Amino acid sequence: MINIENLSYSYPDGTLALDSISLNILKGEFVTIAGKNGCGKSTLLRHINGLLQPGQGSVVVKGMDTCDLSNLQDIRRTAGMIFQDPQSQFIGMTVEEDIAFGPENLGLSSSEINRRVTEALESVGMSGHRHNTPRTLSGGQKQKVALASVLAMEPEIILFDEVTSMLDFSSRSDILDLIKQLHKTGTTIIYVTHLLEELVHADRLVLMEKGRVVQNGCPREIISKISSEDFGFDFPPIIELSKKLLDARIIDETSFPLSKDELLEAICPSK
Amino acid sequence: MNDLFLSFIPGKSLLHRLDPRTKIIGLMVISICILNVSSLETMALVGLVFSTLVFICRLPVIHFIKSVRPMIPFFSLIFLMQFFFTEGTPILDLNLVSGTYEGLLLGGIVTLKFVFLILFAALITATTSPSGLTTGIEKLLRPLPLRYFGISSHDIAMMMSLSLYFVPMLYDNFKDLKDAQLSRGLDARKEPVKAIMSLVVPLVRMSLRSVDEVALAMESRCYTGQGRSSMHVLNFKNMDYGLFVLFILLVSCLVF
Ligand SMILES: Nc1ncnc2c1ncn2[C@@H]1O[C@H](COP(=O)(O)OP(=O)(O)OP(=O)(O)O)[C@@H](O)[C@H]1O
Ligand SMILES: [Mg+2]
Repeated sequence: MINIENLSYSYPDGTLALDSISLNILKGEFVTIAGKNGCGKSTLLRHINGLLQPGQGSVVVKGMDTCDLSNLQDIRRTAGMIFQDPQSQFIGMTVEEDIAFGPENLGLSSSEINRRVTEALESVGMSGHRHNTPRTLSGGQKQKVALASVLAMEPEIILFDEVTSMLDFSSRSDILDLIKQLHKTGTTIIYVTHLLEELVHADRLVLMEKGRVVQNGCPREIISKISSEDFGFDFPPIIELSKKLLDARIIDETSFPLSKDELLEAICPSK
Repeated sequence: MNDLFLSFIPGKSLLHRLDPRTKIIGLMVISICILNVSSLETMALVGLVFSTLVFICRLPVIHFIKSVRPMIPFFSLIFLMQFFFTEGTPILDLNLVSGTYEGLLLGGIVTLKFVFLILFAALITATTSPSGLTTGIEKLLRPLPLRYFGISSHDIAMMMSLSLYFVPMLYDNFKDLKDAQLSRGLDARKEPVKAIMSLVVPLVRMSLRSVDEVALAMESRCYTGQGRSSMHVLNFKNMDYGLFVLFILLVSCLVF
């Protein structure tokens, strides 16, 4: 679905943000990208969405090369993106208009736009807020609207750039539930986060450092191998405990527990 | 800030169902009429038209009170100027200046003109969704030869809706910043220049960043400025045509 070959990118001011990255992402996969601040996660996502063009190497999305500018519209409707800051990604004055913005850009008919807006609102459970101003919504509700705006483009891939980092715990799990739902219905998910609890849901973890991919594989195994310095953030106590248990050979790598429930299951299995 | 001045109230009333273009033209016609009013009796008629519309559309009266409230100082100023500076029979003597009966009448009429201009504008924005309004303006501007100046009516409509969006956002940013600086012990009375700079500099920086981010968000949702369609289809119904006849009659009455 997404083929990234040897991609390097420097910002105009000379910062090398991506350094020969190669990565393949399959259709329907749920991939998380993690790494320290400034390691290039957002820059990578912007390449997949065609907002940035590779300095070197290539990015091919569903057979379309992002270097070919005539592909950009099709790439952007295939791979939708949701940004970190809930506030500054709104374009419309009302929720409805904001969601309609993308389909309007595609030149769709009015009835088709209305259908998509209604469906998108339903799938994020925000139908009741159709005529509200986005500014008056809570952070979690804003991100749901942002998700609906992307859904209205009917993308096959959705890129999430730390969308939950400004949210409280319960809105965060709401959004995650929606994302898991989308993944089940076949959408390819690329999810940038630095919250370890959120990695659990992914099929694959890509760990980045200074513009390079340093780990790429099963989240459980990678977390059991790396130290919290490599990850860039403190591990939650559960993970620290699991690591101690692994060192003491009480549990093994394949069932390395990432959550409280898994840990309980690992030390005292309920048959 | 939830109830922004001139905000939209969703609904299905008579005015809601009218074509935005009819409403924009109607607003222009009624404004011309209002500016031409010269007696209290005609002003009462304007008031009657307004109240009837609010009543049949079942709009909340409080919304309209809110939309004139911020202008009260301005209205008072206009009224007092007329009251004290119009020649005629004095009815209130304040040594230096005196208010006249003619001034009272004229002041009343002039002030009411402004009040009704705002009320009718609020009536239109309350019953037209912002995007309906911008689509309407876009369609009305389309026949103008704007493209010889390198602008399309579409660009204007997009600019309008983006600024409609940015102004409240700037205001929010400003409020947050002010709170943040105040809580860090900023004293605007002791060091006014420093206080202003400490608000303006980050505000400009924040706004530039927001503009950047909004531009990215627009681009990532396939915005190119061309080939856009609209969720709202505008088509004139019988009621719209009827109103156009009425508008033409009204304007010709004024002219002749
Ligand atoms: N517009 C820009 N101009 C110049 N340099 C930039 C720009 N945006 C990002 N960078 C730099 O590129 C590098 C990668 O940035 P990027 O935003 O991709 O990191 P990130 O992994 O998303 O970080 P975070 O976790 O903070 O979001 C950083 O060193 C950053 O300073
Ligand atoms: Mg980032």
